[in-house]
Amino acid sequence: MILEVKQLEKSFGARRAVAGINLLLNEGEVLGLLGPNGAGKTTTLAMIGGLLQPEAGSITIGGWDLQRHPLQAKALLGIVPQEPALYPQLSAAANLRFWGTMQGLQRSELNKAVAEALAVVGLTERARERVVNYSGGMKRRLNIAAGILHRPKLLIMDEPTVGVDPQSRNHIHETVKRLQCAGTAIIYTSHYVEEVEELCGRVLIMDAGKVVAAGTVAELLRAAGHAQELVIKVNRPHQAVLSRLTAIPGVREAVMVGQAFKLLTLKAEQVLPLAYEYLLSQGLQVSAIEIHKPNLESLFLKLTGKSLRDQ
Amino acid sequence: MMKKCLAITAVGFQQMFADPMYLIFTLALPLLLTWAMSFLPREAGVYEMALLGVLVMFVALNLLTSAGSILEEKQQGTWQRLRSSATPYRAIMAGYLLRFSLVAAVQALLLLLSGKLLFGAPWNQGYGELAVVLAVYIFAMTGLGLFLAGLFKTQGQVQAAATGIVLVGSMLGDIFFPMENPSTAIKFITAISPQSWAAHALKDILLQGAALASLVKPLLWMGGLGLLLLTAGLLRLKTEM
Repeated sequence: MILEVKQLEKSFGARRAVAGINLLLNEGEVLGLLGPNGAGKTTTLAMIGGLLQPEAGSITIGGWDLQRHPLQAKALLGIVPQEPALYPQLSAAANLRFWGTMQGLQRSELNKAVAEALAVVGLTERARERVVNYSGGMKRRLNIAAGILHRPKLLIMDEPTVGVDPQSRNHIHETVKRLQCAGTAIIYTSHYVEEVEELCGRVLIMDAGKVVAAGTVAELLRAAGHAQELVIKVNRPHQAVLSRLTAIPGVREAVMVGQAFKLLTLKAEQVLPLAYEYLLSQGLQVSAIEIHKPNLESLFLKLTGKSLRDQ
Repeated sequence: MMKKCLAITAVGFQQMFADPMYLIFTLALPLLLTWAMSFLPREAGVYEMALLGVLVMFVALNLLTSAGSILEEKQQGTWQRLRSSATPYRAIMAGYLLRFSLVAAVQALLLLLSGKLLFGAPWNQGYGELAVVLAVYIFAMTGLGLFLAGLFKTQGQVQAAATGIVLVGSMLGDIFFPMENPSTAIKFITAISPQSWAAHALKDILLQGAALASLVKPLLWMGGLGLLLLTAGLLRLKTEM
């Protein structure tokens, strides 16, 4: 167990930002932390990062209590903040040497650690260039390098791919996978549901300072009992057809939205041929068919009443 | 811990000296004003007092705005990354304070030397006392700077407050313009302004050879004020994210 959070609480005035969070994280595990604005994610991460004092509860990193042994605990921790936290007038290598020194790396190991971190994020060739001249994607990659330089056991990555180009995003995803394979435990926050599903073995959804759902993506979707959404666009939709579509075995609900019928079903593969055949038999022309599988986005919407991308 | 402290100081220097505006504001502008003051009439200590006024004013401005750079670091996230690292808070703050104090000391020394060597200011005595008063003054203004950094949210706010404090303290603190029959408000500003205390103490040392024993009052006032504000600023910055 690399991270153990017990009954964590924090309030700002009358507002309770975090209300009794529990969290366990093992080596090599990637935990996706999701939640709408004001859910308490940032406050939770700030407390785990040692930036805020909790009012109640405890945080243990690698066996060290963060409040009683902050330096030992923080030595095992790496942070990748949402916005690159770097000195723009220094070169990439100078930035990393500085952050390595702050994490307690000795001179003998510093140069090697800097070279390795630069190689991991693919910036070796640009190491001597000042950060102010870097592109946004390069700054984010260097931001990751500064977080992993000292080989932390626990890495907090706060939306590391916001606003980056696809190439840098892929590079960041590969870096996360490589770190995971090396045994680093990662807390990953993102508004991109696809990357959370791709990278995170477990997901924790917060709202109003509490955990509202936790588990693997498959477990969460199963527990939520989400139906697939089958969208069939036709040239002349009408109510009589809708009532017959509702009667197809396996259809839970059917609605007409604009030029399309939307069918909710747990068995889209079985319902689709029957619906298609019926629509053709009624002389309707089908222009498009879409199957929306249940995903974290829809689950998040259901649990919090907010869209993940609208944060 | 010393290594980390020095690394923080060094990075601060690198950031500062990469900014030409900072160098102009900290060194070129006060030197220009020192030169301009050399055209003042050299009688009744007016010229010397104006030179020392420029010194205390720019050292104060430099220290207050430098302390505000902590807020800039908060905005760019480097402060949070530092606080999340395995570096004790006291090492972080020692690194910042060392940088602020060194720059202010170099700035003060440069202005004193340029006044003497280039513009004929009659500084010929009391160098030890001068060093003590300058050190205590730098400590007081660093405390005020950290207090402002803990009080405000952005560097812009600190700069606005610093400009106000420094201008009021210098212009109305019986430094540049000797006051005859000052109002109660002016007397109060003169009584609390560290710039006023420092400028008069420096003048007494450099022109009249005052000993430290006669400077206990300004030293105690500046030292006490600095300690109070520094403690408040350090505590506030420690608990603020």
